[in-house]
Amino acid sequence: MLDMIRGELFKLRKRNLTWILAVVLAAYFCLIFFATYGIVSNPPGRMPAEVIEHIKASLQFPKAANLIFHTANNIGIILLIILTASSIGSEYGWGSIRQILTRNGTRHNLVFSKLISLLIITFIGLVISVIVGFILTVITSALLNTIGWDFVTAAFLQEQLQNFGWTLYSLLPYILLTAFFAFLGRSAIAGIGGGLGFFFVEAIAVGIFNQAGGWLAKIPNYLIGPNVEAIIPESVFAQGPFSFNGEPLSALHSSITIAVYCIALVLISLWLFKKRDLTA
Amino acid sequence: MNNNGSLVVKTSNLTKHFGKTLAVDDLNIEVYRGEVFGFLGPNGSGKSTTLGMMLGLITPTSGRVELFGHDVQKELPRILEKTGAVTESIGFYPYLSGKENLEYISKITRGINSSRIREVLDLVELSGRENDKFSNYSLGMKQRLAIACALLNDPEFLLLDEPTNGLDPAGMKEIRQLIIKLGHEGKTIFLNSHLLHEIEQVCNRVAILKKGRVVIQGLTDKLMNKGNVLQIRVTEPDKAMNALQNVNWIDSITREEDKLLLGVKADKYAEISRILAEEHVFLTEMKAAENKLEDYFLKMTDEGKNA
Repeated sequence: MLDMIRGELFKLRKRNLTWILAVVLAAYFCLIFFATYGIVSNPPGRMPAEVIEHIKASLQFPKAANLIFHTANNIGIILLIILTASSIGSEYGWGSIRQILTRNGTRHNLVFSKLISLLIITFIGLVISVIVGFILTVITSALLNTIGWDFVTAAFLQEQLQNFGWTLYSLLPYILLTAFFAFLGRSAIAGIGGGLGFFFVEAIAVGIFNQAGGWLAKIPNYLIGPNVEAIIPESVFAQGPFSFNGEPLSALHSSITIAVYCIALVLISLWLFKKRDLTA
Repeated sequence: MNNNGSLVVKTSNLTKHFGKTLAVDDLNIEVYRGEVFGFLGPNGSGKSTTLGMMLGLITPTSGRVELFGHDVQKELPRILEKTGAVTESIGFYPYLSGKENLEYISKITRGINSSRIREVLDLVELSGRENDKFSNYSLGMKQRLAIACALLNDPEFLLLDEPTNGLDPAGMKEIRQLIIKLGHEGKTIFLNSHLLHEIEQVCNRVAILKKGRVVIQGLTDKLMNKGNVLQIRVTEPDKAMNALQNVNWIDSITREEDKLLLGVKADKYAEISRILAEEHVFLTEMKAAENKLEDYFLKMTDEGKNA
């Protein structure tokens, strides 16, 4: 299994797509931070002063940590859907999946090595996000003349470590969902279509269920998006078009719901991959 | 040769359905250690499906495949340690170089060191081009890389699915010579092909497949009927026909214009020459005729009807 994971990481490291997505990640962070700085440095005339102060705070520590993790989650979902889909789907397109299985016949090893290597890449991506976000926060703080380090306490660092863990966990169901669609459709396109399709359709469905009220409004409590939103740190940009506006969900409820999805998706993917023939 | 210890492949009533399509039908074949076994059949006859079942890529509907005495369905990793394969679609990563592709395979296969990568690249004559991207390789180079990859773990048993597909004549010749060389080194080779002359040149034993069923299997030489048909050309064919017609140890006489094909054993060739000379008919040519595998193949698979 370790050999397979090493092999997967070797391929991901050598692939241009991985590096392009890393650049997109960094560019997206720059866009968010500098666009936000643009708003606070030159605010629209009708924007209330307290809103401007609220946004300004999000560009400085300690509040900037929430913006970093929230941004990492938002862009991370899209980038990981692309990376996961191409990591699994391309194996079918190139026929390399047959090559791998004629070397190492255990199919569950292949599935787990793919998922674990993607989790490692997600971890690295999140570390990059934190580093880039930290640098950008230092820059925006300097531009706002509010730079200072007295926020660095043991409690703050512990909280950020937890936020890091929650953000990593929040990305997991989207990796597994995309992997499932890529195995199901045996292509990268199926993975990307399925992953992104689910992400957007679920968000629209959540809005409809919330509007419908009654027992229908309870359904989003058991979907992926609202539970992911419940565990990631809240940011100034949390109220987006796909945000969940229902009743607040507890961390325990959300983590269990996400865990159920993750386990189910892994089991279905394994069953599907093991059951099917690999013809040319 | 025919003892279980030297049995590398054994299929027992192997059957595969894809929906309503019967791809492989009650297949029973045996391949022995050191053989170069040809699996011959027209496109769509079930050759690649059989190979897929041998490699655990395709699950049989019924029956079983054993390699080295182990059931493929139960002990695949153990089997794959001793096996190398070139499958129908060459599965490599286009963004990696040829060498990097082999490095990746060596990472997921135990016991392969970097010197082995160099050895197999030399063997298939890809040294010098190993750092080129796979996507820039010609079809011949891709095929050679696939063979190099199959040889990485120095397997006892090689499964080759149409390894000369798409190659130019020179490339085909190179690959065939390589297969013959590997066979001489003692490797057991299972060669899927629809190219009759390829099987004739390379294989000791052959099975002919038609619609998923083996219609005949045996030694290539025997199927080609080498040594049992004598081909002669003479000065007066009519007179020769008359002279030979009543000879009881000649099994058959066929005339093709000035050429006569006689069903006789090799030890009677001198006798034929004597009989004809007594009738003042003189030989201009005398050789053992080969019943070409192609004729056999066309006859067994009915391919000739459409030709």
